[in-house]
Amino acid sequence: MKNSTLIKGTAAIAVGAALLLGGSGTLAAWNDSVSAAPGTITAGTLDVAKTAAGVWKDRANNTIADISAYRVVPGDKLTFTQDVDVTLTGDKMAASITALGTGESNGFTSNNVSITGPSLTVGGTAIANNLTQSANVQKVTATITFEFLSGTSGQSDVNKTYDFGNIGFTLQQVVAGDGLVPKPAGA
Amino acid sequence: MRIKRTLQAAGIIGAAVILGLLTVQGTYALWSATAVAAPGTVSSASFTVNLTATPSGQATTMTLPDGKPANLILTPAAALLPGTSVYGGVVVTNSTDAGGTFNTVATVGQPAVANLSGGTLSQYVTVSGKAAASAADCSTASGYAPLGASGLASSAVPKSGSTVLCFQVTLSPSAPSAVKGQAVAITLPLTVRQLCGVPGGC
Repeated sequence: MKNSTLIKGTAAIAVGAALLLGGSGTLAAWNDSVSAAPGTITAGTLDVAKTAAGVWKDRANNTIADISAYRVVPGDKLTFTQDVDVTLTGDKMAASITALGTGESNGFTSNNVSITGPSLTVGGTAIANNLTQSANVQKVTATITFEFLSGTSGQSDVNKTYDFGNIGFTLQQVVAGDGLVPKPAGA
Repeated sequence: MRIKRTLQAAGIIGAAVILGLLTVQGTYALWSATAVAAPGTVSSASFTVNLTATPSGQATTMTLPDGKPANLILTPAAALLPGTSVYGGVVVTNSTDAGGTFNTVATVGQPAVANLSGGTLSQYVTVSGKAAASAADCSTASGYAPLGASGLASSAVPKSGSTVLCFQVTLSPSAPSAVKGQAVAITLPLTVRQLCGVPGGC
């Protein structure tokens, strides 16, 4: 019985090996291949940068070289403009830009001065967010004004200061149009 | 059973938090960039007016450090005789540190003539004034006009510029001898105000 079992096992192995040999015949049949090149995916760009110092001008449009050395008097109206370069590329790129003044310190009597801004313009036109992609750098101008009102009487507010602190520009990508990111649930 | 329920509740809460974070992440993970500009500090000017009396030579700022107005004493050099005049003046200098245009005008109001020591001299005294280019012009009799309620105004005085206001005090020829030796105190209110030099600024 043992020999019989051994013989059966050997036969099974032999049959298996034969099947393997037979199977190898399929490797020799026709085959073909083709390749595709999906290409390169390139990310867009989002950037806001201050490339030059801002400029102060007086009411007569004369440039003030050094605001720290200039002394305002009632009737003066000064305007500060700051250009920033906005770079936006990307087929679905859209971004909003905002400017916010922070850290101001006013030593004047509030009724004697009028301060406006920062307001944003592109090419002299009030900005309409959102900005979209452009092959060229987009110049965005922030403007603030300081007017020492001519109604200031006596010797009010001589030798006072107004520190404008910082103007922070934030360029934030936004989802405009379909196909960018799924909308949040419930939005 | 209680432990099992607690674990189930914790699991549900945790899953909800993670789901919530994942849900809003998309809206905040978009690109952003910032830039900062510092406009600087705007400072107001001083309103400094310097006064120099002639002939006394007294010099002062118009506003004293304590904020009070200064008193400037002219002190004529000669005694006043009937029919004669004595002269004095004040040099008004615009010493502001304003950055832009800052013109001023100096104005003298109606003089107040007060008798001293119970005298009667004041009724025989007239005070006249004129604007001049230099203090030396004050002793020239021509150009004086009596100072009335409308006072006397200088021409515009630009930054670092000066003007001179001259005064003439005349004793009437008809003054009686009874007023000999008497004295009067003459007070001349001086005002300096800013003129608007920037078109559209005022």
